[in-house]
Amino acid sequence: MDKISIPIGPQHPLLKEPLSMMVDIAGEKVLGGSLRLGYVHRGIERLAQQRTYVQNVHLIERICGICSHVHTTAYCYAVEALLGIEIPPRAQYIRALMCELERIHSHLLWLGILAKHIGLETIFMHTWHDREMALDIMEEISGGRVSHAANQIGGVRFDLDEEHGDMIRGILKKLHSQVDGLLDIIETEPAAIARTKGVAPISSDLIKAYGVVGPVARASGVDIDLRRDAPLPPYDKLQVKVVTHPGGDAWARTYVRAEETRVSLNLCEKILEDLPEGDVSLRTPRRVPEGEVIIRSEAPRGELFYYLRSDGSDKPARLKVRTPTLAALSLLPVQLAEINVADIPVVLAGVDLCIACADR
Amino acid sequence: MIRSVFNLLVFPGFIFLVLSGLTFEWLDRKFLARFQRRVGPPWYQPLADLIKLFSKEDLLPKNVNDFLAALLPLVSLAAVLTAGLYVPIAGYKAFSFEGDLIVIIFLMSVPTLAYYLAGIISLGIYSVLGGGRSLLQFFSYEVPLLIALSGPAILGGSWSVSSIMTSQGNLGSFILFQPLGFVLAVVGLIGKLKRDPFDIPKAKSEVVGGSLTEFSGPTLGFWNLVMDIQAVIGIFLLIDLYFGWTKMSHPSLSIIIFIIECLILVLILSGTSAIFARLRIDQLAGLGWRILVPLALLQLGFIILMGI
Repeated sequence: MDKISIPIGPQHPLLKEPLSMMVDIAGEKVLGGSLRLGYVHRGIERLAQQRTYVQNVHLIERICGICSHVHTTAYCYAVEALLGIEIPPRAQYIRALMCELERIHSHLLWLGILAKHIGLETIFMHTWHDREMALDIMEEISGGRVSHAANQIGGVRFDLDEEHGDMIRGILKKLHSQVDGLLDIIETEPAAIARTKGVAPISSDLIKAYGVVGPVARASGVDIDLRRDAPLPPYDKLQVKVVTHPGGDAWARTYVRAEETRVSLNLCEKILEDLPEGDVSLRTPRRVPEGEVIIRSEAPRGELFYYLRSDGSDKPARLKVRTPTLAALSLLPVQLAEINVADIPVVLAGVDLCIACADR
Repeated sequence: MIRSVFNLLVFPGFIFLVLSGLTFEWLDRKFLARFQRRVGPPWYQPLADLIKLFSKEDLLPKNVNDFLAALLPLVSLAAVLTAGLYVPIAGYKAFSFEGDLIVIIFLMSVPTLAYYLAGIISLGIYSVLGGGRSLLQFFSYEVPLLIALSGPAILGGSWSVSSIMTSQGNLGSFILFQPLGFVLAVVGLIGKLKRDPFDIPKAKSEVVGGSLTEFSGPTLGFWNLVMDIQAVIGIFLLIDLYFGWTKMSHPSLSIIIFIIECLILVLILSGTSAIFARLRIDQLAGLGWRILVPLALLQLGFIILMGI
């Protein structure tokens, strides 16, 4: 059969963010594909050098619309490390709580998108409905559904009281039962399993060769999670259960993210239980002493890497962000070879791309 | 003469079929929305969509044969409307002759072939892919559907839909004798209507809009109408073949029962599209030939043995 190239993106019903892919197909078989990136490049790293450290918190938050909090968390820890201060334990716990809520809503969002791509629109509607619960909590405690503005250099902007705690526990309990029901469907529904099991498997060797991180790596049996391996506070005090699966296929990726959602729900409850008393922020100087620092943090999609260099002024000399999506993108052409045309959405959804993170 | 004109244009012809097609679309969307925790559209939404499409410009890519593109949905519409004349609706038969079941099945296949052609002539990559898929799908569901539909014909001793329907008054509804055949016919109908989980030719995340990606304006409006009318005729046909016509003391009671049967079928169609994931084309072909065809043959053999 003749080879034809089909464009997927920059505009395509499959994609939520702009990404251009040319996929070569023959009949219903995919021969390979090529990528083109950079449609949402906003020059944030350069922009960060022109703003003060305090202004940058708000800039960094706009890198991503899903995992905005983990970006600012990594950035704030980096600045605080250069300043040589440690924020109060209560602030650390609140940061971690927001991170876990973000992971829950990111994974539920992803689950909905996968379900939509395989034609299970009902699950899409239900997961996105349930995801609103996690967003409700974040809105209630921080004031923002998506951009929370929770972090500031030296701590967090808000404190939790007893009322918040009860409200969060109530919603988390409801969310837990909803998530159990949804995950049960996605793990047992025969057509969903038929569409994901055995699709585009990645071996753990390939994962290591391409430096892929996060749930995609864990679904191929690579046991990495920065919350356990190189924990930022307070994760060193919380025992994080790392979920792995040796399958490597799209189903394993679903399973890992599904289980991680449950782990995060439990973690949220534990954080609320252990929440120490005290202040939530410190006063910090505007100027940051000379030096450089690397901070790694576990975002919903994997390892988030921040490099920050200061020249002693109130503006960063260099800020480098490496997001987990970039490594996953490099593996995409490999995954696309030798699959069915109908599996392209499953593969694309499986790696959980965040183009805005990757392009910055 | 006047009766024939009435039959062609009003009932069960053009006006009735268009209105019931739009009603079906609304019910389907409403049911699906309720399954998905949404509110769903108001009752006039399908009509409003249609009016909007008819008031829009018809845009097609360069070098596409405009005449053929406009003709294909009209031919399909004519085919399904003609098929509608031979399907008794609420016990009322407009036209019938021995063997009209076969004609209906043939006429109902015309839109699928026209859909394939529409994909090929509109010169888009996604359209060509969608068209090819629709033809592959046609070969997967059509055979089990045909075998399943021949069950009532053998049991009723006729190939005319109206006599199959009336013979159930004496024998009892055929669904009692061949529940498996009914299930297979519903599965076949879902395949014919390209509905979820068999919406492979128009899978949004894979081939954008399938064969109809490049179409717009009135042409697309006609295509949507064809799909809706095809669905209601399929529903009426299944009710005639498997439920028959329930004679009650008062005719209006019978009509109410008919409407309830229609609603049950719409609910089945909406429910299946809500709870199943879309299959892959190779999985559908496997399902059709490895599972549905043997089951249909089993049901057919059972009916023939019962007849002896």
